[in-house]
Amino acid sequence: MAKTSLEDFKALVRRAGLALTPEQIDEIYIGWGHVEPMFERIRSYGRDRAAEPAHVFRPDFFTQDAAKEG
Amino acid sequence: MTHIPTIAEAAALLAARKISPVELARQCLDRVAALNDTLHAFITVTAERAMDDAKAAEARLMAGTPRGRLDGIPIAHKDIYATRGIATTAHSKLLKGWVPTEDATTVRMLAEAGTVMLGKLATHEFAFGGPSFDLPWPPARNPWNPDHFTSGSSSGTGAAVAAGMILGGTGSDTGGSIRGPASLCGIAGLKPTYGLCPRTGILPLAFSLDHAGPMAWTVEDCALLLQHMAGFDPADPGSADRPVPDFTAQLGQDIKGKRIGVVRHWHETDAKVSPAVQKGIDGALAIWKDQGAEIVEVVLPSLFEYQAANFVIITTEGYSLHEPWMRTRFNDYGELLRDRMVMGALMASTDYVQALRRRAELCALTAAATKGVDILVTAGAPAEAPRIDSVPKWANLQNPGFTNPFNITGWPAMCVCSGYGEGGMPVAIQIAAKPFQEPLLLQVAHAFEQAAGLRNRRPELATVPPQIGKTLADAGLTLPASDMAGLGAVVEELQAGAAALRGPRSYANEPAATFQLPAGT
Repeated sequence: MAKTSLEDFKALVRRAGLALTPEQIDEIYIGWGHVEPMFERIRSYGRDRAAEPAHVFRPDFFTQDAAKEG
Repeated sequence: MTHIPTIAEAAALLAARKISPVELARQCLDRVAALNDTLHAFITVTAERAMDDAKAAEARLMAGTPRGRLDGIPIAHKDIYATRGIATTAHSKLLKGWVPTEDATTVRMLAEAGTVMLGKLATHEFAFGGPSFDLPWPPARNPWNPDHFTSGSSSGTGAAVAAGMILGGTGSDTGGSIRGPASLCGIAGLKPTYGLCPRTGILPLAFSLDHAGPMAWTVEDCALLLQHMAGFDPADPGSADRPVPDFTAQLGQDIKGKRIGVVRHWHETDAKVSPAVQKGIDGALAIWKDQGAEIVEVVLPSLFEYQAANFVIITTEGYSLHEPWMRTRFNDYGELLRDRMVMGALMASTDYVQALRRRAELCALTAAATKGVDILVTAGAPAEAPRIDSVPKWANLQNPGFTNPFNITGWPAMCVCSGYGEGGMPVAIQIAAKPFQEPLLLQVAHAFEQAAGLRNRRPELATVPPQIGKTLADAGLTLPASDMAGLGAVVEELQAGAAALRGPRSYANEPAATFQLPAGT
């Protein structure tokens, strides 16, 4: 059972610009109930404010061809 | 019964000229003709291309200029790998009719190694949603029992390799899509370290979790394929710029002193596995211990932690790719893909960033808990393959996957057959190593596989000689899988009986029944 109310869930769907049938909304709402606990797992670990994501931006990636060409 | 060679065996036969690439390709094509109506492993069969490739390989072998051990080996590609001039569908109505103008980098590399390309293989739609029954092509079925699921998303590769339609093939793995089908179809499948194999030209599911890799009957065959899939590609931002080692070099070396960590709580507590899967893990540990390895227990974050990060990243990255079509052609997707993928549209942007931060923590925790450990072992899948019509829609959300941790960490991991459970369906262990330690991973997996001795058993329906299967198919006879399996079990006896009836006998010997006119005529 999802914590998000069905009405709030419908608002999320509208905001995403999706045109779903009432049946599709009901069906996906069931799945949303399985996804919500995942948010709790990724959000709250008292992590350091400066803890960075796993991905890093590499500006040199975009200039490596130019560098090779001199 | 027909023996289906491994890649290594076929390479030796080809080198000794005991079989030709053309014969080998024809055998595989005959098996495709005989079995594909039952297994639906292939979406597109490129028979002409295969024969052209095989003839070219044959010419090289006859001229004494083979390109290596893959020259003349029949393979096929998951249908998210772009193939120049050949339709690439992602098993989806949305890409029906798309014909790429370039090969994926790995497709090109395997072609340059001399492989013979038989066609394109079924996948879960865009490597995410399946098994689906509302797509233009049916889902692949498990050769061990076609009423059962292959797992996915590299479903066609799993089925085709197990059934001997091809000797090896390609897969992709974002949450377990190589290792799942390898587990349920009883083959070997390797998800390499993130960045080892270029993904250029492979339709992405989630950029930061996608891996390309090989699937084959044995560990050694995976090593042979990986040798021609690994390498730096500057066009892939995630590609690793480092030398490619010899992946077969350590096969057969002893594993004495290696430290193998068993993540017992994953398969005994977080997601308790079936008795057959547990037996397979225990058996592998016993084998490695006998071989001189040290077995230690490792405690890692729960499977649910890796699953949460994996799912949020997949759906948000995936949805960002599919958003235009999701908004305008929602109902052209299969129900499973669209209902799962749409979750990515409903999450907050902060959820994605938090998932990436959690990913960094999980990578650090995994590394810290495995200091001094060479290899990790757990289950490949929780149990034997379920019936294909009984896979719950939200199965991937309700139960954590054993494979997710190694997409999150990017560590190499492979699944290898470890026995047979209920209904004779295969089960698997999963073996993982530290980043870029594929030679060690393959060494340890190979040591288990050799000692376990499980590679002589094929699905029964695959043991029908391909000519007989093709004769049935040519006659328009599509036998139920159970009948094909039964035929596989008795075909040798039938052939021997038929041979015994042939003679020798006198030229003039008449049959027992003679034509006789009725009396009085």
